[in-house]
Amino acid sequence: MQVSALTWRPFGRREPVLRSVTLRLGPGERVLLVGPSGSGKSTLLRALAGLLETADAGDLEGEVLVDGAPPGARPGMVGLVLQEPGAGVVAASVGRDVAFGPENVGMPPVAMPAVVASALTAVGLGDLPLDTPTSALSGGQTQRLALAGTLALDPSVVLLDEPTAMLDPRSAEEVRDAVAALTGVVRRSHRVEGWSGALTEGSEGAAGHPSGQRPPVLAGAATPTLVVVEHVLAPWVDLVDRLVVLSADGRVVADGPVRETLEIERHRLLDMGIWVPDEGPPRPLAVDPALIAPRRRPRDAVGRSGPAAALTATPLTVERSTRLVDGTVRTRPAARLTSPLDAAPGTLTALVGPSGSGKSTVLHALAGFLDPTTADAVRVRTPGSDTSPGSGTSPGSGTSPGARTAPGDLAATDLARAMAWVPQWSSSTIVAATVLEEVLATSAALGDVDPATSERARSLLTTLRLGHLARADPRHLSGGEQRRLAVAAALLHGPPVLLADEPTVGQDRRTWAAVVGLVAAYRSAGGAVVAATHDRHVVERATVVHRLEPPPRAVEPALPAAVPLVARCGPLALLVGALLAIPAGVISPHWTTSLAVLATQAVLALVGLSAPGPGTRSRGRLRATGLRMLPGVVAALSVGWSTWFLAGRDLDPALTVALRVLVIVLPSAVLIPWIDPDRLGDHLAQRVRLPDRPVVATAAALQRVHSFGEVWGELARVRRIRGLGVSWRSPSSVAAHLGALTMGLLVRTLHAAAELAVAMDARGFATARARSWWMPAPWPWRDTLLVALATLPALVAVVAG
Amino acid sequence: MAPQVTSEPRAAAPRSITATRPLLGWRTVDILTIAFLGAALGVAFWGWGVFYTGPLTALKIGYAPLMGLFAGPWFLAGVVGGLVVRRPGAALFCEVVAALVSMLPGTEWGATVLVSGILQGLGAELAFAVFGYRAFGAAVAVLAGVLSAPLEWAFEVVSFPASWADVPVLSVLADGGGWYAEWVLRDKLVYLGAMTLSGAVLAGLLGWVLVRALARAGALSAFPAGQEQREIRAV
Repeated sequence: MQVSALTWRPFGRREPVLRSVTLRLGPGERVLLVGPSGSGKSTLLRALAGLLETADAGDLEGEVLVDGAPPGARPGMVGLVLQEPGAGVVAASVGRDVAFGPENVGMPPVAMPAVVASALTAVGLGDLPLDTPTSALSGGQTQRLALAGTLALDPSVVLLDEPTAMLDPRSAEEVRDAVAALTGVVRRSHRVEGWSGALTEGSEGAAGHPSGQRPPVLAGAATPTLVVVEHVLAPWVDLVDRLVVLSADGRVVADGPVRETLEIERHRLLDMGIWVPDEGPPRPLAVDPALIAPRRRPRDAVGRSGPAAALTATPLTVERSTRLVDGTVRTRPAARLTSPLDAAPGTLTALVGPSGSGKSTVLHALAGFLDPTTADAVRVRTPGSDTSPGSGTSPGSGTSPGARTAPGDLAATDLARAMAWVPQWSSSTIVAATVLEEVLATSAALGDVDPATSERARSLLTTLRLGHLARADPRHLSGGEQRRLAVAAALLHGPPVLLADEPTVGQDRRTWAAVVGLVAAYRSAGGAVVAATHDRHVVERATVVHRLEPPPRAVEPALPAAVPLVARCGPLALLVGALLAIPAGVISPHWTTSLAVLATQAVLALVGLSAPGPGTRSRGRLRATGLRMLPGVVAALSVGWSTWFLAGRDLDPALTVALRVLVIVLPSAVLIPWIDPDRLGDHLAQRVRLPDRPVVATAAALQRVHSFGEVWGELARVRRIRGLGVSWRSPSSVAAHLGALTMGLLVRTLHAAAELAVAMDARGFATARARSWWMPAPWPWRDTLLVALATLPALVAVVAG
Repeated sequence: MAPQVTSEPRAAAPRSITATRPLLGWRTVDILTIAFLGAALGVAFWGWGVFYTGPLTALKIGYAPLMGLFAGPWFLAGVVGGLVVRRPGAALFCEVVAALVSMLPGTEWGATVLVSGILQGLGAELAFAVFGYRAFGAAVAVLAGVLSAPLEWAFEVVSFPASWADVPVLSVLADGGGWYAEWVLRDKLVYLGAMTLSGAVLAGLLGWVLVRALARAGALSAFPAGQEQREIRAV
């Protein structure tokens, strides 16, 4: 790979992000790319993949050549794995997701299973059934799936963009193992702890081939060239043989064999804030506790009831229910706190455990967003009104100062006075138009902004190295900057409790020191912190550590539920069947006809929903169908009424239109729930011959519809805990709330689309002119029968009419 | 493919930046953005449908044609899709995806939602096509909102005369019709007026404001709408 004088300036920026970058990477070479945050590392990776202009626009100079051709010349020639697990997931099942690249290059379907299987085996996922839902994978598995997806196209170069930054140590190790296997590095020991301390022994023994002595890669060997971006270096040093350092202004400032370069550039790297091996955590910044003193001083609390905790929780379990398409509800535990939790002033309570153990869920329960099974598990002491000078009224709370209340029962302003929350998605906390207003937002909602508060806000921003951004739009900040901003915005108004979800993720040494120093100051001023974290150095500072275990999986019923007849039909037949009701309704001239048509449909529905054959009986099906008919019944009544009212108070036409609505809607309520988005995509492209790329994109979007609900929920929670409540008595607050949530959801959606576009183009989607398909789109006799039967009501309408 | 940015000094009224040529050369990010926007708006459609079926039904008890005043939000996807991607088919594609997504969880309209999506999307598409996919200001957005209404209106109020009973093929249609077939013509026309007004304001203007807000939030940097914002703010 040859990079010559690459310069890139995105539109809207005065300075280029990359400046005249020139690099030469040999075949099979393994490179670690580092630099301070904002130095354009991710941008350089996208440039290497030829994807800079996929989701951004700007001035590009210089060129990138892979094996003498531009990176896109052969689809999948340069594979790219993104930082956020799941950002590049295209399909609902593991097999289909890995096959996405081969589909794009038109590989014959018979050849796909072998390619998919060997790609999955290469990343250690060979044991997974191919129909495993991608949504059921852990973060580490999802990242390895992304790697498998690139391998399926036999890449010459593999690019990894901080692939483990969002993972717990064990998952991160899984991913590194997969990378090691891929590049032919033999690793002897697993070092789950990773990071600084562990490297002393690692540097001696962990790599099979110490750098520089690796056997030369043969020409044309299958081992791809590897480029990894990371800012925690230790765990990767054994896996690479070359280190490239970018400066803050986007130039290559050092390039050489990894160990020598680390030695020589050590101080420069430390100055950049990079987590260099063999270097302990930085000393936390000394912060003046007066900056963020909680309103309720510890002495107030101690006086009354000893070492009173501002927030307490008894052991609790949070359950999550999923309503399945056949109407049954499956409930399983999502998180379990096994010992009591007391967030006393001055303490740090750490929640640790692997991804999926429910740390974030427990934080949600503590903030009162979820109902734990024990109804009175979480109690929070509401700060007395005497300690909050200048505060406005708190409508609808009715709680007496100092009382112990469930956080879910508090009004938004009272909740904001009682606690603050830094969510995992720190970009979702943004509620204001500038960084400074963002920090002041909760204080403003509580009605206590004065010059002194603004002054403290500025100092807080300066402490967190955000001072120069005070007037910037917070939505334009980087991920790490947004996380620090979320911490500042949570603490300024002085809540007695801080709930923080991974507060140190993505921080370099300098900003890490600032965040940890700020939290220490908050504690010494009497604040109580509960933090979910993977960060070893944060756990070391904790007063109490709660280790969460992933709750057991729900027990699948021994015998699966029997499949109703309609569910055995293809998606296209189901859709056509539902649409055929429209002509049936439109051509029904009189309600007597409609009644006959409706009766036919009802009989067909009962037959279609019956489930002969083995399997457990499900009682929810008819009820679920009835529920789905409910809006249709309301519509029939209201349309009937309006027609009666407007068309001469005559019952005849009113009945006619009302029954017409039911005729049109009933088949949809019966058939549409059984349409599977992926399979609908297969059929629309292969049978109806709709254009491939829009169909694939639509199926990918349908895959993620459920995540929109989660985003919406999180945005609503953030507004609530930041004191921005909604009152139905104030329409303007409802409008502001809905507007903010809609904007937030759309912004997040657009970012997801842009990320996925990069991931898809890295797998050959841009040039997919003649796609092949992982799954065929069969049209069995059942489908013909369904369509024939669905025509029956229309025939009845013609005959009876 | 470098995006086209007008290099001459900007006139007082900023001109619309068009999509990269060729207009039919949809990039991956174009397709995905439309699909995702459509899906997100589809969820919103569904929520609006619940509100529409619920509290707003009171209007039907009074004077039903005024329901048209609340039809606008359903035209939003077409307007927004067209304004963001600025390619032929964007408005139609976005509206259809939104309709599909709102259809799946079940609404009072069943599968007709898909048909409505196509009819509304075609209307919005027409507005952008009339200007050759070169103009994307507030006026064009309002026009797109307005044109989303007529086809949908026709689908809802169509009624076939009873006299067709004697015509050979058309006889099956005789006396049939859409949701509001039995209304008198005056009420149907009031309904069209209400829908059009709603489309102009709640889809056209609101859509234009929404796209501008998204561009300001930095969410449209890959699109002409995002570049217009950058041009305005460039220093």
